[in-house]
Amino acid sequence: MFGNKNKTPLPPKSKDQLPNAKIGIPYKEWHDNHKNKHKWRNIRWAALLTINLMFVVSFAFDLSILEGSLSGSRLIGFYLMDTFNALQVILISIPGGYLPSLTMNFWIGFFTILFLSIMGGRTYCSWICPYHFLAEMTEKLHNYLVKKKKIKEHTFNIGLRFVFWAGFLLLALLTKNIVFENINMVGIVSRSMIYGPGLILLWVLAVLLFEIVYSKRFWCRYVCPVGATWSITGKAAPLGIKFELDKCAHCTDCQDVCLVPHTLWFVKRGKATDEVHYTGSDCTRCGLCVDVCPGEALKFSIKGLDKLV
Amino acid sequence: MAKTDINRRDFLKSGAVAVTALAAVGAGVGYLKKLHGENARTQDFLRPPGAIDEDEFIFGCIKCGLCVQICPVQAIKLAGIEKGLSYGTPYIDVRAQACDFSCDSLQCVETCPTAVLYFKQFKDAGEEAIAEYEKTHDYNDPDFNPFKVQIKAMKTKVRMGIAKVNEKTCLAVKGQGFKGTPRGDDFKGIYRSPRTGDPKPSPVSEHNFDSEVCDLCVTECPIGETAIVMDENNGTFKPKVLDGCTGCGVCVMVCPTQEPSIVVEPIKS
Repeated sequence: MFGNKNKTPLPPKSKDQLPNAKIGIPYKEWHDNHKNKHKWRNIRWAALLTINLMFVVSFAFDLSILEGSLSGSRLIGFYLMDTFNALQVILISIPGGYLPSLTMNFWIGFFTILFLSIMGGRTYCSWICPYHFLAEMTEKLHNYLVKKKKIKEHTFNIGLRFVFWAGFLLLALLTKNIVFENINMVGIVSRSMIYGPGLILLWVLAVLLFEIVYSKRFWCRYVCPVGATWSITGKAAPLGIKFELDKCAHCTDCQDVCLVPHTLWFVKRGKATDEVHYTGSDCTRCGLCVDVCPGEALKFSIKGLDKLV
Repeated sequence: MAKTDINRRDFLKSGAVAVTALAAVGAGVGYLKKLHGENARTQDFLRPPGAIDEDEFIFGCIKCGLCVQICPVQAIKLAGIEKGLSYGTPYIDVRAQACDFSCDSLQCVETCPTAVLYFKQFKDAGEEAIAEYEKTHDYNDPDFNPFKVQIKAMKTKVRMGIAKVNEKTCLAVKGQGFKGTPRGDDFKGIYRSPRTGDPKPSPVSEHNFDSEVCDLCVTECPIGETAIVMDENNGTFKPKVLDGCTGCGVCVMVCPTQEPSIVVEPIKS
């Protein structure tokens, strides 16, 4: 899960090896000189809103662009199927003797998204998921409250997601019902936008409130099995964030903005084991760290491709 | 060493919380299942055409809403949480908007990715009808068109429920006629009337009737005389539902009485 964390770390860099020393300015000045233009965040928000708006528009004006919802959809007639949802369907259809009835479209949708997640891991989470967008907004409020010392930050073990992941699959099997879809933030928010809101949104509000007052990004970090599925399938995803040690001054600003800071374990002084690191499969490729990094030590990259070029 | 101990304890603690949460969700599901169970189908909560048995339907539906999108008359809606485990699943309230087969090819069934709306039965029926048609019709004939029989064969195979007449309130049973628009001018429902032969669905409020003995459920039925006929006996009238009834609910939608005098009873396995 943590890549080559078990290797012996490289010796920590001395002061004059830091990137600010190389160009001869003090660390603080070097750090504060960086103006965050929020380039990737803006691109990402635009993409997220466009995709979700395409769903809404397709239904409202009866267009065949992007139909359905984020649980299952059709992009100009081509089916796409949420992986965790599909896993549950497959799992309960086996004892039900129902597996052969699943349509070709189901399998096309399942394998398409599966393939995309193998290539890009959890990219969906921050680039498409509408709940992520809401949570990103409320996170600001949470951070403000923590900063003002109104509340304390609570963290949990990151492995919790896999307990929930296995648990919800087991629940589906036991109850013969796609239980998780009843409380799935992604599905609920997506359906509420497209087909109109309902009382179920109170559940979303409750979780958002919990995230504001108790634990930052609780759902995405510790519960959501939709994202956990892609953490598993995206183990060897080529698309990711590349880290170059010689450009890093260990300010750890990137970990502060990251949804899953443990994937950036190598940015702390004396932790990195190689000159170049890639973020792990939990990374949602949101690009916040790329935007915030004063030394441009973090970049979007496709593993293998940059070696070719 | 001490750190891993803390980590392990931390994980076990939050793991216990997670398992408790899952158990709570499971118990909730069990409770809701008992509460609603297989009785989710009611007169104002019919499943779209081709829906498999309720207890299987509810497990297979991924609540994507593709059937809702494809329906040309927007008969299909997604249920709210007040329907318990049926939350997010598609249903049809035929009194508000019936399924009038305007799509001609059961598109909601065809579009369903998980086959809880099961298309194969309709596909087979349609293909059988085409094969039958080809036996008796010449391919070179300019009028050769097997699609009509295919559409008919497919839609007559639908069984969303079966209509039942309430003889206490039925205008025909009382011997009364009907004049005007059946559901008032504000009613939003649309359908394709077999009486006018218009291929496009039009609002119920635009249809004017003037019948000596009310027979709207019979004349507006998209299936026709295999589904419902007017039983006339010595000057007394009664709409009679036959085996061909698909439960599409157009009769319920156009019924002019305050409470519909004809309802679709869901078929329960």
